[in-house]
Amino acid sequence: MSTAQTRADGLGAPPDPRGPTARGRRSSGRAPSDPKPIVGWLFIAPNLLGVLAFTFIPLVSVILLSFTEWNLVSGFGGIDFVGLDNFLAVFQDPTFWRSLVITILYAGVAVPLTLVVGLALALALNRDIPARGLLRAAFFVPYIVNIVAIGMTWQMLLDPSAGLVNQFLGVFGLEHLPQWFASSYWALPALILVTIWSQAGYANLIYLSALQDAPTQLYEAARIDGAGRWASFRAITWPSLLPTTVFLLITLFVGISQTFGMIALITNGGPGASTTTLSFYMYQTSFQFYRFGYASAVGLVTFVGIFAIMLLMWRAQRGRALHD
Amino acid sequence: MLPARSRRPSRRQFVGALGAVAGGAAVSGCSSEPEKDMDTLHVWGGIPAESGPQRLIDRFHEKHPDLTVEYTRYINDDRGNLKLNTALQGGVDIDVFFTYGVPNLTMRVSSGLAADVGDQVRSTPELAMFLDTDDPKALIDGDEITALATTRIPQMVLFNESLRERAGIDLPRQWTFEEYLEVIRALAADGKYGSYVIPDLARIELGPNYRFTPEGDSNFSHPAFQRHLDLSAELIRDGVLYPWSQALARQLEAYQQNNFIAEDFGLWTTAPYSLRFLTDQEEYPHDFTVSAAPVPTTENGDWNTGEYGAFVQINSRSPKQELAWEFSKFWLLEGAQDLISAGYISLLGDVDDEQLLAGILGEDAEQFFDVDSFRRTLFEDEPRMHLDTELTAYTEITQKFEQQRDVCWLLERSPTKAIETVDRNAQALIERFEED
Repeated sequence: MSTAQTRADGLGAPPDPRGPTARGRRSSGRAPSDPKPIVGWLFIAPNLLGVLAFTFIPLVSVILLSFTEWNLVSGFGGIDFVGLDNFLAVFQDPTFWRSLVITILYAGVAVPLTLVVGLALALALNRDIPARGLLRAAFFVPYIVNIVAIGMTWQMLLDPSAGLVNQFLGVFGLEHLPQWFASSYWALPALILVTIWSQAGYANLIYLSALQDAPTQLYEAARIDGAGRWASFRAITWPSLLPTTVFLLITLFVGISQTFGMIALITNGGPGASTTTLSFYMYQTSFQFYRFGYASAVGLVTFVGIFAIMLLMWRAQRGRALHD
Repeated sequence: MLPARSRRPSRRQFVGALGAVAGGAAVSGCSSEPEKDMDTLHVWGGIPAESGPQRLIDRFHEKHPDLTVEYTRYINDDRGNLKLNTALQGGVDIDVFFTYGVPNLTMRVSSGLAADVGDQVRSTPELAMFLDTDDPKALIDGDEITALATTRIPQMVLFNESLRERAGIDLPRQWTFEEYLEVIRALAADGKYGSYVIPDLARIELGPNYRFTPEGDSNFSHPAFQRHLDLSAELIRDGVLYPWSQALARQLEAYQQNNFIAEDFGLWTTAPYSLRFLTDQEEYPHDFTVSAAPVPTTENGDWNTGEYGAFVQINSRSPKQELAWEFSKFWLLEGAQDLISAGYISLLGDVDDEQLLAGILGEDAEQFFDVDSFRRTLFEDEPRMHLDTELTAYTEITQKFEQQRDVCWLLERSPTKAIETVDRNAQALIERFEED
């Protein structure tokens, strides 16, 4: 019996262009021979519980808390609903704006420099040089070193008088050496320096793996055409690294703008408030001042801000990728 | 159409939603509280058990063999206090707890965590001092008393005797701030500094609640605050005070004893709890003796910069209120001797000054200290101490002050500008918190 005949008889539905079983799958969610769905749920249950307990519930709690005034100690009975007051207060809070500027400065300088250092290292370590494997590992180590060790080590290295860095600079007869973490002018640059040191290994690793995939035939063609190293980099390497760069830009920006441990360990937000970023301000507001509702509002505003910047980066990359 | 207000969720609805979300994390069956052992008291405090509380508890056991007291030590820092707050809120079996510092005190009291012991205090004649509202040693609100200070924490000025004698300075018994400044200038020589910081000039002049005017506004425009920053900056610039850049870079605020032991500065303003470092020759070896002098005075005031502290409080949710009070009373009236070695000078108790001195300075007192000078400074001079009771935005204002103090003492900002900023910020905080 032809398909046309079947339809004319009104005995069957028109054929699904995706194949004979597609409709069945859509309606039941599984093939008739699949095991019961409960098994699938059991497999993902540990992760699902983790996401529920450590992501979903905290997220919803923070959203709800941002509309309240609560000091934790007073228990659920002490929660006062204040509507949008916390958000209004956030936008009128000079410390919030100051922390925002510091966060933008911190991430805005640290992220591009981390990318530049990571890329430079990757280009160098992608060449056939002695002890290449060892060097690759060495540059990655700072990324996995414990944050406490990083804090203590750099505190010693950047000690204004006894630190190795200033002693080294002193060899060149330099006067008025930077006071690093003991100066409200130098503390942020010092923090950026340490951040680049600790994150460049990660950028280096990702760039290295991207460089391995670079189209070798294009380089050969470029060489035959007489292109130099810079021309090859500009015309072949950089465009092929663009998606990786955007990925690193986004992940590093999100990670660095949320840096907390290093600030808490090394500067505690100071001197003055020179290294009080938004994430550290959130910590102060909640765990030092016990204003959890307000801290939640700061957190949400920060989240929305970072998310918006992330989206902008993503959209900019998409346009560029199409253009290329 | 509903009025705008009625469309907002009520507090009850909102709290219900929040509770539902939080409750989602709870495993079923956790909601029913375990039955509490009514013969066991749980006490949380900041002193290590072996430094005195365990001896006190052992003596309490002798007196009450049918009861058991379990002591839990928490570290008195941000994390430790968060741990205690969470435990109190989470329904952990805590009957008696100790609070250090007024910000924590107010928060716990205003949140209803501390039981009112006003009636018990009024019915115990030996505790009459806690009813004094002119020189408060308890948190009193009308008839309600929710915290009792257990100790005096007077400040004193310690001298490195070797450096003092080398500088040819007489050990002062009463001295003015000007004389104090002459002394630290004389001590600053041969790569040594005079002192770590100077005593809080504004506190000496103004005493309790010094950050607030009688009307409750910011008092940072009082000249004493600026003079304190000004003098300190000048002395740091002159190399008389320990460089603040070093203090910040090496995070020395909590480790000043290391630099005093290392003879970096000859004079150190501190409290009795620091004396334990000076008797510990293994961890803090040194070959100089130490003498004590009172905190200097100004023509405008003679307040000691020390305070009443270590407040005992009873958990308002404890089902063992009577036992908890029995233990708190024992700690206040009979526990003084046990806590001396922790540097605690009890407000009450049958311990005379000589016993206190022997306890605080340790067995080999003569080896480490000029004992007479400590006797005079800690007991005979009867230092005037304070308890702040005006606590609006206390922690926030403290932070604002410390931020400006830091940049001022790093010589990056003028004291005038720093204090103007503190005053403006403090006033804004007071207004904002009073609105709330």
